[in-house]
Amino acid sequence: MSIDGWRPTAETVTGRWSALERDWKSVIVGGAIVALVSALELQIPW
Amino acid sequence: MAIRRLLPGVFALCLGALLARGLALSLGVNNLLLAIALGVVATNVVGMPARLEPGIGTHKLWLGAGIVLMGASISVETVLEVGGRVFLVVIAVATLTLIVVELLARNVFGLAERLGSLLAAGASICGVSAVVAVAGAVSAREEQVAYAAATVLLFDAITIAVYPIVGDLLALPSTVFGIWAGVSMFSTGPVVAVGFAHSEVAGQWATMTKLSRNALIGVVVLAYASYYARAGDGDTPSVRTLWAEFPKFVVGFLALAAVSSLGVFSTAQQASLEHAYNWLFLLAFVGLGTEIQLGELRQTGVMPAFVVLLSLLIASSLSLLILLVLF
Repeated sequence: MSIDGWRPTAETVTGRWSALERDWKSVIVGGAIVALVSALELQIPW
Repeated sequence: MAIRRLLPGVFALCLGALLARGLALSLGVNNLLLAIALGVVATNVVGMPARLEPGIGTHKLWLGAGIVLMGASISVETVLEVGGRVFLVVIAVATLTLIVVELLARNVFGLAERLGSLLAAGASICGVSAVVAVAGAVSAREEQVAYAAATVLLFDAITIAVYPIVGDLLALPSTVFGIWAGVSMFSTGPVVAVGFAHSEVAGQWATMTKLSRNALIGVVVLAYASYYARAGDGDTPSVRTLWAEFPKFVVGFLALAAVSSLGVFSTAQQASLEHAYNWLFLLAFVGLGTEIQLGELRQTGVMPAFVVLLSLLIASSLSLLILLVLF
């Protein structure tokens, strides 16, 4: 699919993201990090 | 596109976080307090370019995400063991602070009724977020909201500096220090920063205590909305307010704590999640530092600041005494 084909999907996702309350965005970011760490065994250095 | 607008500021937060971590390691100082200091210097000495502002404004999002991830490190057994006592202290201190600020504001210092209510909500529950939430419910004037918010931010800046010193001077145990910060300081960011600057355990207790205090915001907004609606000059409250004002990242925090207590994460995964929330807190605290604008704090009124100072001294010393007896 060309880049133009992805544009409506990307716009829908960013539109839904913008409409979300900030607290729910935090939950999604946290959930995404948990998913990455669990599924890919991602090692985060400190 | 909106994301492109955010990138410069988010990049600046990442840079600030890396710098704070690097400097903290080489100077041997606390990285969270250093992150806040970097933010303060950046905004008050260097000046903040306008194009960084949208991205830097995301710092509360990273704080919330960090708190969600902290759920994975919480010992559910410990929370169940002492959580009931902590929640009772939270309710007692929040109620006491609210009543003290209302009484002092109305009867002693003669402040406007709504300004007193905004200060009471900010001091007793969750800082500026509570001020804004209650302002909507009681139809407060814009300058009253700005005044109350500036007063709360002034005390956020003061308590970030003073609490760690008092904690060290009194050699407070981690649990007591964490709960004390969570129950008596104002905004969530400074509470988390001061807690983790003391120790990991103190940070976790400070955050959990503050989250349970934040959860009371719906009840307080509902109570104020009912009071002012009865007086005929406020919005009509609804039970929906309780959910609308509830800090939703608490749901994520509790869900992850429940999942983690089932033992689904390996030690390496738990370490990675802990590192992730440490980085998220650093990002958040660089941004939090940029909100402490010294010029604006100087414009805070003397009377509102005095009312809040008195209530903070009463709530802070009383809660510390209770906690030293209980734990």
